[in-house]
Amino acid sequence: MRSEWRDGERDRGVELTPLGPGRYQAIVDGGAIELTVESVGDGRLRLTTGDQVTVAEVSAAGARVFVRLGAVDFVLQRESAGRRRTRAAGGGNLETPMPGVVTKVMVAAGATVKRGQALLAIEAMKMEHVIRAPHDGTVRSLAAKLGDMVAGGVPLVELDAPETDDRSGS
Amino acid sequence: MAATRRMFRSVLIASRGEIACRIAATLREMGIRSIAVCSEADRGALHTRRADDVRVIGPPEPRQSYLSVEAILAAARETGAEAIHPGYGFLAENAEFADAVDHAGLAFIGPTAEQIRAMGDKRAARALAVEAKVPVVPGGEGRDADALAREAKRIGYPVMVKAALGGGGKGMRIVADETALSEAVESATRLAASAFGDGAVYLEKAIERPRHIEVQVLGDGAGDAIHLFERECSLQRRHQKVIEECPSPAVDETLRERITFAAVTLARAVHYRGAGTIEFLLAPNGHYYFLEMNTRLQVEHPVTEMVTGLDLVRLQIEVAATGRLPLGQQQVLRRGHAIEARVYAEDPAQNFLPQAGRATRVRWPRAPFVRVDAGVVAGDAVPLQYDPILAKVIAFGEDRARALNRLVHALDESVVQGVVTNLPFLRALARTRAVECAEPDTGWIEREFLGHFAGVALAPAPELALAAAAVAEAMGLTRDGAGATGAAVPGHASDTGSVHDPFSAAGRWRQKGLE
Repeated sequence: MRSEWRDGERDRGVELTPLGPGRYQAIVDGGAIELTVESVGDGRLRLTTGDQVTVAEVSAAGARVFVRLGAVDFVLQRESAGRRRTRAAGGGNLETPMPGVVTKVMVAAGATVKRGQALLAIEAMKMEHVIRAPHDGTVRSLAAKLGDMVAGGVPLVELDAPETDDRSGS
Repeated sequence: MAATRRMFRSVLIASRGEIACRIAATLREMGIRSIAVCSEADRGALHTRRADDVRVIGPPEPRQSYLSVEAILAAARETGAEAIHPGYGFLAENAEFADAVDHAGLAFIGPTAEQIRAMGDKRAARALAVEAKVPVVPGGEGRDADALAREAKRIGYPVMVKAALGGGGKGMRIVADETALSEAVESATRLAASAFGDGAVYLEKAIERPRHIEVQVLGDGAGDAIHLFERECSLQRRHQKVIEECPSPAVDETLRERITFAAVTLARAVHYRGAGTIEFLLAPNGHYYFLEMNTRLQVEHPVTEMVTGLDLVRLQIEVAATGRLPLGQQQVLRRGHAIEARVYAEDPAQNFLPQAGRATRVRWPRAPFVRVDAGVVAGDAVPLQYDPILAKVIAFGEDRARALNRLVHALDESVVQGVVTNLPFLRALARTRAVECAEPDTGWIEREFLGHFAGVALAPAPELALAAAAVAEAMGLTRDGAGATGAAVPGHASDTGSVHDPFSAAGRWRQKGLE
């Protein structure tokens, strides 16, 4: 079972193979870990790797997965095809930087936009954050309308890459 | 208001979050009925569950709820409250509110409207300090940019351009030399006009590498006042305090005597009523200067409580009810050291952007000499509309080293999931050598620590963390409502009934994405 993650600015991948009851092999970024997992209630996992035991606490909120290992905390993002496509198209900044309310919608689906053009504004805690086009292109879809509450780390605009030369003549 | 000569039977708390919970705790202890108010976004919030009664006063928008004088007074009338405690923030330093409470025949647990007004105007407060012979930062005033430029030249660059009605660092600009002054004055004026409704600005000489020292005072409103020692709040990020302590490691007995005397002199001069804080800048050469007075309970009041053993909220209530100081200066004693860290819902990896959502897991440290003032438990929503403070973690020790060591461990044992917090930032900060040695001035975090922290924050998560996340997904622990049992706290859902809840269904949020 393969899962894709975003760890800060990094793409990470985990290939998880069940080896038996409570036993897994996890290949993380190419390196293999064998672990025995015991659920100890309240979302806590007792992880044994070799002779090392670590208690992990995991819970999710939207696309974010919170992992506490011992006394250290990490926040990972579930990666998705849509999100990765957006990033591959040249920008990761179509994602909401924080949960908030959509206070401005400045483009509509189908609109042609220039790099840097303001697309949406999100407000939280009296701070306004403007989501701008990371590259020239066409707005394929908008996933929010004015007044919507939106989560953090969610791409609200799908932007097509600029059309290539051989198609733009039509 | 004529001082009521008996204790209140009921008090309305015109605030939310951790401070409303903290005030409710003292009211309970005193046998006074507590009344919470909340906006629609806060239905079922912890502060409403800690009070004896609760009134929903309006929509999430603060102007229509926590900042609505009318709505709060209506709730007070309806519930028969005899007094109002404003907490901090919202209407705590709003003179019109204090007046309105007075006119409604209720007691305002705080200073008089006139005192709020006088101290809220930073230039007027400076003048009062000068009159009370309390040292102030050399400053200048002027009607226009030219006059201000002459004043700046007189007091010497660098100078600060400040909004007369500002506070907490809002609307402040530092100007290194003459060429940048007119633009700074213009922008500060514009900002002050929009933020405070008055574009008046003034100048102060910029004290380089100052420490922030403040003195807690308590006045009876008739000219008597005492102090509860000082606090140091030099660990700030963009003028927002992060870690505070009592006593200040930079203050020796001689300085303590002088600075607390200055504070008490000023409080007496204005016949200050209730608890207040007089803030000073301490220059590296040992000179101190009056900065401003905060006419309310401070966020960081617990460190004072820990070293004096006195409950500041109780003292506020007693002064408001009786018009007398419940204790004399010689009864205020100090022992040991206390340090507090503020836990905020903000993402240190994204330039401290405020965060909101629903806490899936919340656990605070339980250890000797550790106190936590929290406003959320697992399952609670952290709304978008308000100050992102979640809790304060406070550690006490017989000396500073022990208090700091306890804070380090207490922060390690503080757990919040579901909402990104500044806990990793606090943990790293509390462990630095400069903090251990009590070296930082108010600019240190931005000048020296943030760069160092960025390296910590950007380090990759260990492979085991990824493996744990993948295993938890495979086991179904990360589905909505699964994982921490706190996500479905019994009682919480039934408390709130059919509440408008933007965070209840993570699935709905995801629909808005493009997956």
